[in-house]
Amino acid sequence: MTSFSPLKMLPLLLPAAFLIIPIVLLIPKHRELMDSPYLYTFKTGFIGILLEALPFVLAGALLSSVIGVFVADETITRWVPRQALPALLFACLLGVIFPICECGMIPLVRRLLRKGMPLHVGIAFILAGPILNPIVFSATLTAFRSHPSLAYARMGLAFAVSLIIGLIVYATVKRSPLRLSMQRGDEELHHEALNGGKLAAVFTHAADDFFEMGKYLILGCLLTSLIQTFVVQSSLASIGGRPLGSYLFMMGFAFILSLCSTSDAFVASSFAHSFPSGSLLAFMVLGPMLDFKNAMMLMSLFKTRFALYLFFLIASTVFTGAILLSGWL
Amino acid sequence: MMYSTVSVKRHYLFRAAVLLAFAVYIEHLAQYDALHYYVTPKLAVWVRLCPVPLSFMALSLAVQALFGRSSAICGCGHQLPRSRSGSAAMYSVFLLPLLLGFALPDRALGSAAAAHKGMSLNYSSLVPKESARFQTSDPFAAEFAALAKKLYSQPVIPVFPQIFSETLGTLDRFKHDFEGKEASVSGFLYRENTGSMGGRFAVSRFLVQCCTADATPIGILVNAKQQKSLPADTWIKVRGKLQVIVYKGKETLQIDAESVTPIEESSTPYVYTSPDAVEEWDQLLRSVK
Repeated sequence: MTSFSPLKMLPLLLPAAFLIIPIVLLIPKHRELMDSPYLYTFKTGFIGILLEALPFVLAGALLSSVIGVFVADETITRWVPRQALPALLFACLLGVIFPICECGMIPLVRRLLRKGMPLHVGIAFILAGPILNPIVFSATLTAFRSHPSLAYARMGLAFAVSLIIGLIVYATVKRSPLRLSMQRGDEELHHEALNGGKLAAVFTHAADDFFEMGKYLILGCLLTSLIQTFVVQSSLASIGGRPLGSYLFMMGFAFILSLCSTSDAFVASSFAHSFPSGSLLAFMVLGPMLDFKNAMMLMSLFKTRFALYLFFLIASTVFTGAILLSGWL
Repeated sequence: MMYSTVSVKRHYLFRAAVLLAFAVYIEHLAQYDALHYYVTPKLAVWVRLCPVPLSFMALSLAVQALFGRSSAICGCGHQLPRSRSGSAAMYSVFLLPLLLGFALPDRALGSAAAAHKGMSLNYSSLVPKESARFQTSDPFAAEFAALAKKLYSQPVIPVFPQIFSETLGTLDRFKHDFEGKEASVSGFLYRENTGSMGGRFAVSRFLVQCCTADATPIGILVNAKQQKSLPADTWIKVRGKLQVIVYKGKETLQIDAESVTPIEESSTPYVYTSPDAVEEWDQLLRSVK
């Protein structure tokens, strides 16, 4: 790595940052784009999603670095059951104790994996945590007051999907799919050597986590708000007219909207007259597990091949599960 | 991966500045009471706390960069960009929201966003016919029925922003019972580009559950005799008799406007859901009197 002074870096950074705005503006070549309503809609959406996620990302980063600094590796290994099935059940119910939404989940799980939590347990926790918790359950119940079975179905399906994917990962993945730099062994938090002791170490590592996750988060927010600004939602809805099409449409919609798991039920309920309940279920289970924002964050954690394998598993299991459950709803 | 101590220190300093800038931006939004353009008041409480950890993080990074012993600093387990263009790309991602935030004034969502998200004018398409007025066998609609009775007793039904979605939902649910009653509502003017609304427009608000990503525009049709040419996004107060018409194949409630008055944009442009609309209504009515 060549050495260069900060002053040399500055002139390069500023134009790069300013360039982004014209690039963003010129992607779809619409003339009305230069009209300010689009720019303001984009800005309000973008900053809105970012501010919404920020407290959760910070909480996740702080919690993960507290665990990193204060909790010994053996503790995690001792807590997680040895056998696969009890361990997965444990992971699925962990969300009840840590009601963190998906943005905070990924830095936390990353730390736990590095501390020696088995991969299948970590995956089940990432998938189940954002849905199987009391906050999301009560929000879903409120949104579907006239249709409470959907709230129970959401919890049930999320549990089943996390368990099944955890088992598949346990059975099929033998080599660590973590990105090289994230693997265990690199990790040694020599906090004693840092100025200011353990407290400073917590904040320093939280800041590192914030920058690592933050770039994916911001890119995810950027894409989501571009889509929200330029795609007419009713034109999408006509694609979902056919019975199976509605499932695929609602799943795709969950992916591009990147809503928080506490608010997506309200959005789903606004589609209640025009879409079958099964597809709403698919929307509410897939969204928190897999969307633009957290797909980006998962890519930072896992090697691309494993991440794509995981995306495929999530999408197919949710799709099958929602169709099976639709008979009961 | 080894990094030279100098370059790690420089990254830390720059990161400290970015974190501090985020803290300042949030503080700035809170100072100017602008957080409500982006998130709900409930969530704003949490966002407002963010500058605290952000500043501590910035401070500890700066301390490590300025006073840290070089042996203590390395890129352990954390990726730092390897090249100059890599760092430039990475940090511009973080500067983008800051630039947008500071450079453009805060503005609430309006007609352009409503057109893309799709305006809701109907709320309950599957309501079973009930025999008696404001009676319902559906336990989940009991709140609507209770609110309906209170609304009906008013000479002019006010649509309070605090219970905007609940009130419109109630009026829509019992639309035939409310036909002929007078109502008054304020919001921004929304007009469909396709011209399918005829001479009509809608008076609308964005309902926000969590943040602007889940904002949904809800409104009520207005048949205006005057002020027809007001531009979209004008804030208006509409008063007139409620009537049921067939719009796009659905029975829809509309206000046959006696008056349409342009007003100042509300200081809280979005509306939120209320945990208990009936209780909220009683309080609002007391405070109006």
